[in-house]
Amino acid sequence: MAVSRQFFEAQVIALLGPLQGVARRLTCNDDDAEDLVAETVTRAWRALDSLECEEAFKSWIFRILNNTFISELRRAGARPRLESFDCDDPAEEDADFSIFEQMHQPFLLWFGNPEQEFLNKLLREDLDRALAALPEEYRIVVVLSDLEEFKYGEIAETLGIPIGTVRSRLFRARSALQKKLWEHARDCGLSGAAAGRTKSKFAANGVVSRQNEGDSGEKR
Amino acid sequence: MTDRQIDCEQALKQIFEFIDHELRDADHEAMQRHLHACKSCFSRMEFERLLKEKVCELRDESASPHMSQRIKRLLQGF
Repeated sequence: MAVSRQFFEAQVIALLGPLQGVARRLTCNDDDAEDLVAETVTRAWRALDSLECEEAFKSWIFRILNNTFISELRRAGARPRLESFDCDDPAEEDADFSIFEQMHQPFLLWFGNPEQEFLNKLLREDLDRALAALPEEYRIVVVLSDLEEFKYGEIAETLGIPIGTVRSRLFRARSALQKKLWEHARDCGLSGAAAGRTKSKFAANGVVSRQNEGDSGEKR
Repeated sequence: MTDRQIDCEQALKQIFEFIDHELRDADHEAMQRHLHACKSCFSRMEFERLLKEKVCELRDESASPHMSQRIKRLLQGF
């Protein structure tokens, strides 16, 4: 499909914010993100004939962005992957981890609305860190779905995977994200709160300390 | 035809698709009926929805001036 130069330029400019945003999330580095977007735009211009229709431009250029990131990652070789477990075969407890369920364990004593308090105390930096710690395959689906508001069909087209895989990967990715957030909250004071070792905003603000009131030992 | 009912297990399986507005109309309505009747699943859905909103707020709205200039120069060179 031959689209005009004007169309290409207008679309690139219109999508530049989202392209840079996704690139930042993938690379976790502003300079690398700029290089990735520039390389993506260059590759897209050269591959313009592969664009099937104007309506497909968004999925098409984000697919190029993702593929460029993966190929650069492979080329770099030595760069470590930011993952702590195997994406395709996560441990069973990671596959459906839920902060909400953790907070509603029957042996925990809560007052008020703990999940709302947890959300209220959750900072941007906490989410940034948890998102960056996800494997790339998980991070990209969360970024496309939740930050860039892609529909499942668009994510499937962008990543070249079946829509059912988008569903299951997003489910696992969100579970993994919650596990990272929960572990961070716990590290910030969940286990230490019982002994009065207030370490962080979480414990200091009562998000994770109340459940241990009257308890002398660690919960986990 | 009676309205289809779902249980908690089914509701939890499709909670993200509900939040993402990715369920078919009949499934979305069945989910809404369940959430209306089940306080526990409703609370879970609300938590997931609010957490998603928090993640949404991480979005970078616009490209940096440096990025914009670089891409404009690049486009001029094509």
